[in-house]
Amino acid sequence: MIGPSIVIKGEVSGEEDLLIQGRVEGKINLNGNQVSVGESGEVYADIQAKVIQINGKVTGDIIGKEKVIISKSGNVHGNIVAPRVTLEDGAMFKGSIDMDPAEASIHKAPVAAHQSSQSSAPQLKASGLDLKSV
Amino acid sequence: MPNASTQTSKLLPSLFQRFSAEQAVTVFHVGAALPETVDFFSDYRCKLHFIDVFPALPIVLTKDAALTPLQQFQELLQFSADTFFDVCLFWDLFNFLDSEAIAALQTVLRPHLKQSSLAHAFSVHNRKTPQKNHIYGIQQLDTLNVRSRRTTPPGYAPHSQRELTALLDDFRVERSVLLPDSRLELLLQRHRTVPGR
Repeated sequence: MIGPSIVIKGEVSGEEDLLIQGRVEGKINLNGNQVSVGESGEVYADIQAKVIQINGKVTGDIIGKEKVIISKSGNVHGNIVAPRVTLEDGAMFKGSIDMDPAEASIHKAPVAAHQSSQSSAPQLKASGLDLKSV
Repeated sequence: MPNASTQTSKLLPSLFQRFSAEQAVTVFHVGAALPETVDFFSDYRCKLHFIDVFPALPIVLTKDAALTPLQQFQELLQFSADTFFDVCLFWDLFNFLDSEAIAALQTVLRPHLKQSSLAHAFSVHNRKTPQKNHIYGIQQLDTLNVRSRRTTPPGYAPHSQRELTALLDDFRVERSVLLPDSRLELLLQRHRTVPGR
């Protein structure tokens, strides 16, 4: 979890689910996992993950391999690409949504383990989560 | 949630039945993204562009206005050059735009239309038809979810169908249905004479 008082500027990647209650600026890449932006979360970054749930504020493009959910407290400004997108009543959204339901069945197959060893940039590594500065 | 009710649409089925499940559909939706609309389109391969023009109203040319209607639409509607719409859902936007603003909207939208583009809109039977302060979502192919707006958009000055037809350079009215409240539901098709994609 990225707590409410935490601010990260850089790239976040890894192989576990992530809950963001703080602020992230840069890029988030958790291809095989879920990213949740909590109600106090503020993300100014592109997000790529298997499932993305947004209860807070996101400015950036979002790629969900399986599903993107914008909850009633969610506020998203950006473009979404995902097989399925759910917008809850009260959610705020500005941008485009690119959906292909046929892709949903493809991505329900086990996702290959995501490797994040490509960078030699300074990293903060915490139990599978990489935070790379940019 | 604002009060919601449903309304039957006679023309949306004939619009969407022209697209197969395999066909990718690009949609320009004027207004806020609503849950039921996103859910409806989840059965399609689609790209939805939601732009809520209503908070920017009134879009009129005045001496004091910082931007012309054309400049306002250029700011509001920013699409990538490779965006071409199969469907435009205008809802009741035309009832809030004067002739200059409708021309400006079309100027900005024109590069992103196909020869086969279709559109849906609400107009009025005559200009005395009272304002409906509604937001529309698509619940099913033939059913709209109608919600009350929290605020009343300014600039309601509807055009008769005849006037609107004359103002639309890019679309012609393919079918219209008179609704019980003296409004018209319109299915629009791209003018074949307009050069474009």
